[in-house]
Amino acid sequence: MQAHAALEYDYSVAKLFTFTTILFGILGMIIGTLIAAQLAFPELNYLLGEYGTFSRLRPLHTNIVIFGFTLSGVFATFYYVAQRVLKVSMAESKFIMFISKLHFWLYFVGALIAVITLLLGYTQAKEYAQFEWPIDIVIVLVWVLWGVAMFGLIGIRREKALYISMWYYIACFLGIAMLYLFNNMSVPTYFASGGLGNILHSVSMYSGTNDALVQWWYGHNAVAFGFTVPIVAMIYYFLPKESGQAIYSYKLSLLSFWGLMFVYLWAGSHHLLWSTVPDWMQTMGSVFSIVLILPSWGSAINMLLTMKGEWNQLTENPLIKFMVLASTFYMLSTLEGPIQAIKSVNAIAHFTDWIPGHVHDGVLGWVVFMIMAALFHMAPRMFKREIYSKKMLEAQFWLQTVAVVLYFTSMWIAGITQGMMWRAVDEYGNLMYSFIDTVTVLHPYYAIRALSGVLYLIGFLMFAYNMYKTMTSSRELSEEPQFRSPMA
Amino acid sequence: MFHWLEKNPFFFAVGVFIVIAFAGLIEILPNFAEASRPVVGLKPYTVLELAGKEVYKKDNCLSCHSQLIRPFKAETDRYGQYSLSGEYAYDRPFLWGSKRTGPDLHRVGNYRTTDWHENHMWEPTDVVPGSIMPAYKHQFTNVADIETAYAEAVTVKNVFATPYGDEFQATKAAWEAHKPKVLADAQKIAADMKNKDIKEAVAAGNIPEVVALIAYLNRLK
Amino acid sequence: MDIRELQGYASFFMTIFLVVMLYWYIIYLYRSEKKGEKDYEKLGNIALDDEIDSKPINSSSVTPSENKEQKK
Repeated sequence: MQAHAALEYDYSVAKLFTFTTILFGILGMIIGTLIAAQLAFPELNYLLGEYGTFSRLRPLHTNIVIFGFTLSGVFATFYYVAQRVLKVSMAESKFIMFISKLHFWLYFVGALIAVITLLLGYTQAKEYAQFEWPIDIVIVLVWVLWGVAMFGLIGIRREKALYISMWYYIACFLGIAMLYLFNNMSVPTYFASGGLGNILHSVSMYSGTNDALVQWWYGHNAVAFGFTVPIVAMIYYFLPKESGQAIYSYKLSLLSFWGLMFVYLWAGSHHLLWSTVPDWMQTMGSVFSIVLILPSWGSAINMLLTMKGEWNQLTENPLIKFMVLASTFYMLSTLEGPIQAIKSVNAIAHFTDWIPGHVHDGVLGWVVFMIMAALFHMAPRMFKREIYSKKMLEAQFWLQTVAVVLYFTSMWIAGITQGMMWRAVDEYGNLMYSFIDTVTVLHPYYAIRALSGVLYLIGFLMFAYNMYKTMTSSRELSEEPQFRSPMA
Repeated sequence: MFHWLEKNPFFFAVGVFIVIAFAGLIEILPNFAEASRPVVGLKPYTVLELAGKEVYKKDNCLSCHSQLIRPFKAETDRYGQYSLSGEYAYDRPFLWGSKRTGPDLHRVGNYRTTDWHENHMWEPTDVVPGSIMPAYKHQFTNVADIETAYAEAVTVKNVFATPYGDEFQATKAAWEAHKPKVLADAQKIAADMKNKDIKEAVAAGNIPEVVALIAYLNRLK
Repeated sequence: MDIRELQGYASFFMTIFLVVMLYWYIIYLYRSEKKGEKDYEKLGNIALDDEIDSKPINSSSVTPSENKEQKK
């Protein structure tokens, strides 16, 4: 080991992805807040002409926060965590360094093109898989480059045992690769018709019910392998490291890993309950959704118990607060999801605002909180400066927590109200409400949701500002902090 | 064996892959053997309807409207007969949507007219007071891309054996020959509309997006 | 045998197989710890002690393909 004494971890790629995480986070949340406000105040649809309607902006919001913000966060933390748990520096291999830089730039350029084509209305119209085929090819290349960098680093590792976070990153890589490829299978019409029409246009390889089945097998598990698996990878590294406590039970983390891998993929068909897909699949989707509570809570409880005997840190260290709240929201949304997947509950909940409510307590409370905490933990180590302001961190925490609570409570009420009104009948068995009645009644809840969006966005801007100051003008550190991140 | 897997990231990854691919193999692949069979009498979309479907996708109507009537009395009362798998046989992609901010549209052709859609797309609140749907005035000026729609029809005919007639060929000449038929379809829709600019545009051979969209919506029955 | 039947059998036996593997793995985890061959909980320290010059928890000169027990 002496020969490597002067060697340091190289965070240049992690830094690049940190910048895009913040950039896409701001962009995605501004659009999200705007479209939330549009539902309460429809006049806001006309700010950008054709390009500013709710319908055109919604896929932009979902794709920017998924493939822009979250994926950037996953890559940023990966290029940070992987080096450390494998005990190998990226500076040791010119090849891996080159591949990972290429990975970043291709990703960034691809993301910009994707944003533009979506604004212009080029879409496959499958949720979270809207990009047309040329962008799909770029995404596949980006993914392959990430895989090369990942397995390259693993190949030259010093630490022979793979830490559990690496397991999750590998699973994220494999899962998304499989799902994305299959769901985006399509035939470009330009080539199949002898050069007629628009070159970007394509038709899905699957039709009707089969297409729906593939799409939600993808859609549900894109959430699994994009919003759960890599975020669990993060918390398994950052929570122990920040608190100085090893994982409560390493064996439990291994078992819940396999449980999650096996069960998650089956649950996709719970998005298609009461639809025209075969009944047995709907039932499978329901049943496995319930079973999914076990591995999810296995991980979540493991995270919370990691803090055993050290709960005082919760009051002293805001980053621990972020991470503990994140795991709590993970527990909440992994309980809420299975409840919605019960067929009788789904009959009311499906197509209503309860579903976006569920998604957002997961992403705002769990994914975004965890990614922000991870970046805050990384910043003092990457930029060798202490975190700029603890006060701002505390304020941000409470602001965003209130925002998430406002978001999901208003959407729960909105969803159940609307679901009940759609099916309400009078004494003669006639429908009681016309559709528009069930829309106007939601106005206050949409307004509260828009407000929660504004609060959350302000919190995120505070995060961005705090990070910016940490990078540029905070007090310099003479040596790397071991556990707790220093903050002023 | 487990010890060996823990030490070999490559084979570990293979193991993970088998476990996650399992569900897809069992649940999804076998269904392709029994690919969606169309219900009796189902016709493939006309080129104008396909162009309308593209408008539907482009302005992403499916972010607020579903096309899936579930088998509940409350839904069949409101929207009509519940949806059947075979009705979607020619839908690539499927457009079920996942959120009903607005009502379901799977059978909207049964109870809304060209005239209604024209007013509604121009200014939804004129037709439905209290509506939060934005107006889509740009669809009255943007021109629908019927050539791409034709390319789609030819593609699904050649690749997926969708039953289009022999005149659908992958050549420029075949497209030029088919074009007047699309225009004739558009003129039928425009005849029921009152907007002068629309009528003029269609007469001049340019089909505004809204005409194609209405052709598509009228077909949803 | 039609594809639906095949699907049923494949699903059934594969599930049984994976469940057996999972339980076998649990037994393996605890047994190898009991016998003192391994200490899984020690792996948690990989995250805590992750300086580039700190000693790997599980370093070995054994090539990955060699299927052999490690001595700690």
